[in-house]
Amino acid sequence: MTSTDCRCVVSGLGVICAIGNNVEETWKNALNSVSGIYKTTSLDTKDCYADLAAEVKCDSLDDLDNPDEKDRASKLCIKAAKEALHDANLGDFADSERVSVIIGSCVGGVLSIEKYHRHGKNAIDIPKMPIGAIASQVAESCRAGGLVTNIGNACAAGTISIALACDLIRKGKADVVIAGGADSFASVPYSGFLSLHALDENGCSPFNRCTGITLGEGAGVVIVESYEHAQKRGAKQYCEVLGSGVTSDANHITAPREDGLCLMEAMNRAVKNSGIKKSDVGYLNAHGTGTSKNDNSEINAFHKFFDEENPTLSVSSTKVMTGHCLGAAGAVEAVFSIKALTTNTVLPTLHYSAEDSEAFKARAGQMDYVQNTPRSKELNCVMSNNVAFGGTNASIIFSKNPGDVKSQVAKDKKIAVTGLGIVNPLGNSKPAYLDAVKNGAKPSSASVQSSITEVDYKELGIKMAFYRKLDNLGQLQCVSGMRALQDANFTVTQENAMQMGIIVGTSEGGLGATYDFEELIAEGGNAKGSAFKFPHTVYNAAGGYLSILTGLKGYGVTITTGPNSGLDSIGYSMNVIHDGQQDAMMATGTDENIPIITELCQKLGVAADKVVAPYSESNGFVVGDGSVSMILESEDYAKARGAKVYCYALGYGNGRKNVKFGKVAGSDEALDKAINAALKDAGVTIDEIDGICGFANGLKVIDDIEKNSYARVFGAKLAKMPVFQVKERTGEGRAASATLAASEAALMLSGELAENDAYFIENGNVSKKNISTIGLKKILVTAFATGGSYSAVVLAK
Amino acid sequence: MNNEEMKNKLKEFFMSDLGVDGSVLNFDTPLFGDEIGLDSVDSLEIISFVDENFGVSMTGVGKDPFQSIDTIAAFIESHKA
Repeated sequence: MTSTDCRCVVSGLGVICAIGNNVEETWKNALNSVSGIYKTTSLDTKDCYADLAAEVKCDSLDDLDNPDEKDRASKLCIKAAKEALHDANLGDFADSERVSVIIGSCVGGVLSIEKYHRHGKNAIDIPKMPIGAIASQVAESCRAGGLVTNIGNACAAGTISIALACDLIRKGKADVVIAGGADSFASVPYSGFLSLHALDENGCSPFNRCTGITLGEGAGVVIVESYEHAQKRGAKQYCEVLGSGVTSDANHITAPREDGLCLMEAMNRAVKNSGIKKSDVGYLNAHGTGTSKNDNSEINAFHKFFDEENPTLSVSSTKVMTGHCLGAAGAVEAVFSIKALTTNTVLPTLHYSAEDSEAFKARAGQMDYVQNTPRSKELNCVMSNNVAFGGTNASIIFSKNPGDVKSQVAKDKKIAVTGLGIVNPLGNSKPAYLDAVKNGAKPSSASVQSSITEVDYKELGIKMAFYRKLDNLGQLQCVSGMRALQDANFTVTQENAMQMGIIVGTSEGGLGATYDFEELIAEGGNAKGSAFKFPHTVYNAAGGYLSILTGLKGYGVTITTGPNSGLDSIGYSMNVIHDGQQDAMMATGTDENIPIITELCQKLGVAADKVVAPYSESNGFVVGDGSVSMILESEDYAKARGAKVYCYALGYGNGRKNVKFGKVAGSDEALDKAINAALKDAGVTIDEIDGICGFANGLKVIDDIEKNSYARVFGAKLAKMPVFQVKERTGEGRAASATLAASEAALMLSGELAENDAYFIENGNVSKKNISTIGLKKILVTAFATGGSYSAVVLAK
Repeated sequence: MNNEEMKNKLKEFFMSDLGVDGSVLNFDTPLFGDEIGLDSVDSLEIISFVDENFGVSMTGVGKDPFQSIDTIAAFIESHKA
């Protein structure tokens, strides 16, 4: 049985979607087979072949603090979170580091992007644009002070957020996690799915007509709590959350694999990690979008996976009720799954005629595709699946019983850093970066960009048939990822493709591509979207392309909080390896600087007008970009394949002090927390740290936070502590800079970067000198995000 | 627009909108081959482009007319109003 410290329970539920503004209303309508799909009145449907949507009707979304500062996606999510917290009898957490927020989203603040573009380009709309705003604003609304992040894996994001919540709790990093997903109905996804001819003009009909999807919107929130914490406070416990499985198709950016291979592997991992039998699953809430590609792939996968041991499993898609809520889908469907489990009810897929039912029989076989009306069925375990653009598959199990979940089974394994891929404005390889450091390179202007050329593709053997499809972010990601694999001398084979996963950290992800798409349809109308460009708008497209290019089929998650996501990708990767999920991981940080990104920084007043250096007390930073990838492996796996080792990743930590998303001032103490948490996780003291790779970028408010925190944490020791700052060379590349800082630490620990410019901070004053890095044994790496989140990682020789 | 102009216009579209390197794209280059790697998403873009610029619908016509710029142009020629 699952050990007490590995048990995660659900103690609160919240939902808002087309069939209800709360759990009670939504569940009642679901039991009454109500569909929320109607003709849309909120968007321009001129010349569009489909005009249906499942929209939220709620006039109290603005009943929260500072509604002008929040996108509709955040408002939906905060409403669902409030309901879930109330349900769980929880409230204000006073910045407790034991409470985390993880929210999935696909298009996030897309309505704010549209508003900015079409209505005056006002700075107030900018902080509302990135997906990262959602979890941060939910955290702010209840003062959650633990790890706060968003999952950017498009339509599977809601499920992955709950999976990650359990991973955090089982690792001992949180007691309570507010997990869920949110997305709003908007022109960009509407036009995008139109351009793909993926909308059903008559309303979606999953596992039936299968002629397209209908978009929905909403938010779902599940309070995931450690069993011990819930017991101690006498909390309501709906059910247990058991294991999950996340995989990547490595096949196509929008379409799922026909053979369902990696979806089956996700289900397999979920069942295995839960310690249950396939036959324990009584109901499966399928992804069931209604497109023929999705539904056929799922039907095949379900037969292959369940027919032998669980042939009469009940299956349905609830998307005829709610529409496809994208990043909220997995969270809304988790609420349905949990209600189904706890009330012993299987929900139906709606809208089968007698002829439809007859016609579907052959495809269903013995499997119980529940149709039109709900039914009572004694349930012990429910599985909820979601798949996404980028090829992501996610599966999770909710259960009445504790199951047999094993966690941190490989926690004693040392984690080695074995490969680096560096792309930034100074060049597209590790040697280019080492040269740039040696030559004291500086940014060439106040806004600098990486440049991927055919030379890179040729060197890496990437064919035009592949790279022609990439947007700028995907180009950066693919080149850095391939370089890292090459540097690690890791050849992906059929045998090891499932053994390595990818975590992409990004601050703005697909925001730039979304803005491009918005410009296109603002001019031509919603009927003029581009099928070629639409896939780039999802934040996990870059990671998806990398998985397709490399063939890596393991864990694949895109996280987005802010610049620190490039460091969290390392921390989460360590957790995935320690959980025994993967032997190796690629942790990466990627952000781009296309013209709109510099424009947004300028509008916000944080872009410098000339080249500035860290600690220059400037009122702006150099806007940069890049992608940096790092291969992490358990030491035994690395040794077995004879890999060279740069250094070891010892531990990671996070800290949070809630301030408004888009701001950092006032959150200083959270960096202290992150550093101390990382040191504790690594089992090292401040006296053992020989150097710091920091995040100063020249903007006084950022640099002061860093300086002051180091002074508090390291005291008198700080004066002799070399502090290295990558942004003096590359500008503020957000997540790419965070992973670059870690890579620079790896290069110094390995001896490849034997000399480096270091800053020394004494009584608030900063001096700089070139030093030998040969004696450095343990280096702390730090990163920040607006909203008050900080991350730290400890790397060692 | 004569046939040559039409093919050039299609080629320009492949370069500007579908990221194809013009130096390897001739009118008879197989679009589904390893070099260009046309897929279903590209086909949707081609269909929109042809409809908008030549007033010819290629919706649901199957794979055959998409073999090369030559075959797309031939399809347009034979279906022009």
